[in-house]
Amino acid sequence: MASSPASVAVELPRPLLSRRARELATGYLYLLPVAICLGGTIVFPILKAMHMSLYNHVLIKPQEYRFIGLGNYLRLLHDETFWLTLWNSMVWVFGSVIFQFLGGFAAALLLHQSFRGRAFVRTVTLLPWIVPGVVVALVWEWLYQPNYGVINDVLLRLGWLTDRVAWLSNPALAMPAVVATNVWRGVPFFAIMLLAGLQAIPDELYEAARVDGASVTERFWHITLPLLRPIIVVATATRIIWTFNYADLIFVMTSGGPANATQITSTYTLLMAYSNLDFGYAATLSVVLLVIMMLFTVLYLRVTRGIESAT
Amino acid sequence: MSDGRGSLAERVLGGPVLWSGLVLLTAFALAPFVWVFLTSLKTRAELYATPLQYLPGAITVANYVDAWTSKLTPFSRFFANSLWVSSVTMVATTAISILAGYALARFRFGGRQVILLVFLATQMFPAVLLIAPLLSQWYALGLIDTYQALIYSNFSFTVPFTVWMLVGYFDSIPRELEESALIDGCGRFAALLRVVLPLAAPGIAATAIFAFVTSWSELLFAITFTTQTEMRTLSAGLLFMVGQYEIQWGQLSAGVMISTVPVAILFTYLQRHLIRGLSAGALKG
Repeated sequence: MASSPASVAVELPRPLLSRRARELATGYLYLLPVAICLGGTIVFPILKAMHMSLYNHVLIKPQEYRFIGLGNYLRLLHDETFWLTLWNSMVWVFGSVIFQFLGGFAAALLLHQSFRGRAFVRTVTLLPWIVPGVVVALVWEWLYQPNYGVINDVLLRLGWLTDRVAWLSNPALAMPAVVATNVWRGVPFFAIMLLAGLQAIPDELYEAARVDGASVTERFWHITLPLLRPIIVVATATRIIWTFNYADLIFVMTSGGPANATQITSTYTLLMAYSNLDFGYAATLSVVLLVIMMLFTVLYLRVTRGIESAT
Repeated sequence: MSDGRGSLAERVLGGPVLWSGLVLLTAFALAPFVWVFLTSLKTRAELYATPLQYLPGAITVANYVDAWTSKLTPFSRFFANSLWVSSVTMVATTAISILAGYALARFRFGGRQVILLVFLATQMFPAVLLIAPLLSQWYALGLIDTYQALIYSNFSFTVPFTVWMLVGYFDSIPRELEESALIDGCGRFAALLRVVLPLAAPGIAATAIFAFVTSWSELLFAITFTTQTEMRTLSAGLLFMVGQYEIQWGQLSAGVMISTVPVAILFTYLQRHLIRGLSAGALKG
């Protein structure tokens, strides 16, 4: 409650609107720019996508533009590629997040120790995460390059390979290859989130456990892990959602190929709009993505709420 | 009672395991960049030598010069485009978000919790969801191949995050400070300008840089809403370089370095704020 100067002795001219009403009006006024800007770039486009999804709307075939009701949604149900992309998304998301988490946890435990040059190592560790997505994709495309890529070269020199491997154009290897790249990109995210969590654990807890004779592993299982649980849950949930949405890496590295082996739902939506100019169907996929995202978000909010009330 | 010696396991973990882990971690994060940096310094012959030549013979900056001045993929132009789009996005985002963040932090109107929740949820929205409707929207408004289309589209991901962060910063500034200013006859806006902004300046700077860096990295809007070479940003320019008939890996590596260095420097500065924001932003709500 604001301290109101109601008991001031001086007679003030009575304002047209009450103080509270004026405050509210100012508040809404300050929110006006953000409302216009997000209305125009998020709310209206989403409504438009819903509308577009009811039409046969291919940009290069304007003569075929017409209302088809739920026609695009029926097409979606019978589109085998769409169902394949859902499965690929699962592989992509869980493959990426599990290894990002394990790598990030290991990195966080290392960075939590005190040693000389810690600030330097911490900054370097962040690099894969902070550079533009297209940079990550191109760097790894060059590393994976069959003839001049350093990965093949090193593996051949070590004798682990006998022939050059076309990592990104082999249907069996393309998904593991893009997942590996995404793991490299995502490790720093978990590393800094978990590091922040580790730093919030009071040293006294470890000291007390040490006095009681707890070993390193016991301290890890009984202090570190339980206290990190909230941040682990939040970071993992956030990461699952981001990874599901994340199209840049696959789009640049393979465009979903070869033969849709790396096609995930978000790259499929992108290609429908960007390459096929099939706006009606792309909008339909967007609406489906939106529904999936809302389910994820509700789940996320439940999980994080649960954590907040528990702590 | 810590005697500083610890068990055998602790000494092994603190010594050899720690050091080899750190070496591995540094190599893991850095090696791909080192390789691309070396690539950018090699001549064409060295790039495609068999067996693979790891280090450049005579260091050459020809790739950087070629990329910067190329007619087909002019990185000087891409750089200027990225700089302009990201700067305008940053300034506009910050102005909009200061007003919104302040309102949400200070005025207790109905639906405040819902609005905050919407901002949080918006951060989870995929950009691909907006591509088709935004493309048709900018097309209808004649904004294809304009900076405006890119800047407006960037708002969709910069604004929700910066508002969310700024609400937190403003909340942490004691109300009493501006209330005394208000009683002294300052208007709300003057109080915001003279009392709140100077106190929140570090936080505002961090979120502004964040908006700059994410716009700098943005790819999908940049390739979808522009068709002409001279309108491409660095990210889009890099991708179109790959689309050429033969990939010039030397030039491309130089382009990668040009795109990376500015964000790497800015993020190093941001680090502290970012970690705080990420954990705060993710835990609230």
